[in-house]
Amino acid sequence: MAKLKLLLPYNFTSFDHKALDFVIATFGNSKNVAVTIFNAYTPIPQIDTSATSITGKLKGSLSYLSQKISEQEAELQTIKDKLVENGFEDSAVDAVFQSRKKDVASEIIDLATAQKYDVIVISHKPGKATRFFTGSRYNKVISALKDLTVCVVT
Amino acid sequence: MPVEEKIDIDIFKVVFRAIAQSDNLEIMTNHLTQLLVAALEIKGCTLFALNPDTEELEVLASIGLSSKYLNKGPLLTGKSIGATLKKKPIVIRDVTKTDQLQYPDDAKKEGIGAIVSVPIQFYDKVIGALRLYHHEAWEISDKDIDSLLVLAENIGLAMTYTRMLNAFNTIKYAMQEIQPLGLEASEG
Repeated sequence: MAKLKLLLPYNFTSFDHKALDFVIATFGNSKNVAVTIFNAYTPIPQIDTSATSITGKLKGSLSYLSQKISEQEAELQTIKDKLVENGFEDSAVDAVFQSRKKDVASEIIDLATAQKYDVIVISHKPGKATRFFTGSRYNKVISALKDLTVCVVT
Repeated sequence: MPVEEKIDIDIFKVVFRAIAQSDNLEIMTNHLTQLLVAALEIKGCTLFALNPDTEELEVLASIGLSSKYLNKGPLLTGKSIGATLKKKPIVIRDVTKTDQLQYPDDAKKEGIGAIVSVPIQFYDKVIGALRLYHHEAWEISDKDIDSLLVLAENIGLAMTYTRMLNAFNTIKYAMQEIQPLGLEASEG
């Protein structure tokens, strides 16, 4: 029997943690669910190397940023470990840590469409001011996807 | 000993080019925080938007700080680095010697030695804050603080532009939803 494919976008917020707890509580004992934890990170910007005295110094410091991004990837693995500790099979949990080219909502929509997920569990904090600047991730995902179940954890 | 100035015209060029090359506020603000951390050789940087309803500072972009620190609790403008709403930069040169922090113990556990907070304004109204975190006590020069204020003004412009663009797009999508339901029919 085909496994239910569940996508869990995860950006390390307290609301994402609640979404993770929901996935564990609801699907943790099911052997028929495959979970993908997804984080889209912003890659380090390209710097014009033909320029200035600062470039060399800046390039040296960029390795610190790479280290921070690696730490984020490692933290995503700990989320996978938590799922496995709570009843999911190791082979049924996948962590996708992906460089983003657009906003996170569009990356979620692209992945969900391309990989044909059955369920998305997404966190949503109502009344956030940041939605005015970046748009509401929840609204974009809900309105763009069809033929799948979206669970919203608030 | 004179305090070293770190933000010069070359840093400005690199930072502003990164801003100009992004058409997406999420990516632009993340690049901005990344470049400031690299240029100033500091621990981390966070860009906040101010929620006028709750008076909380909400994270727009951040680099260098742990998720545990970022999720430590709501940042209330009345308590968090008190003068955020007073439109002035705040320099906490040593976190062990201040009463201006809302979560001083969390800052120490995170390995933060000093914090600089610069208000982001638009039309003389605070809409957010740019905060820089150093590993150790930090003597930042007055000129660097001035440079950060100029940068913050430009971030304020970009945030406001994006906010208006989002509002227009919301109206556009709503009209697209309404149109098939009868607006064309009413013309005939």
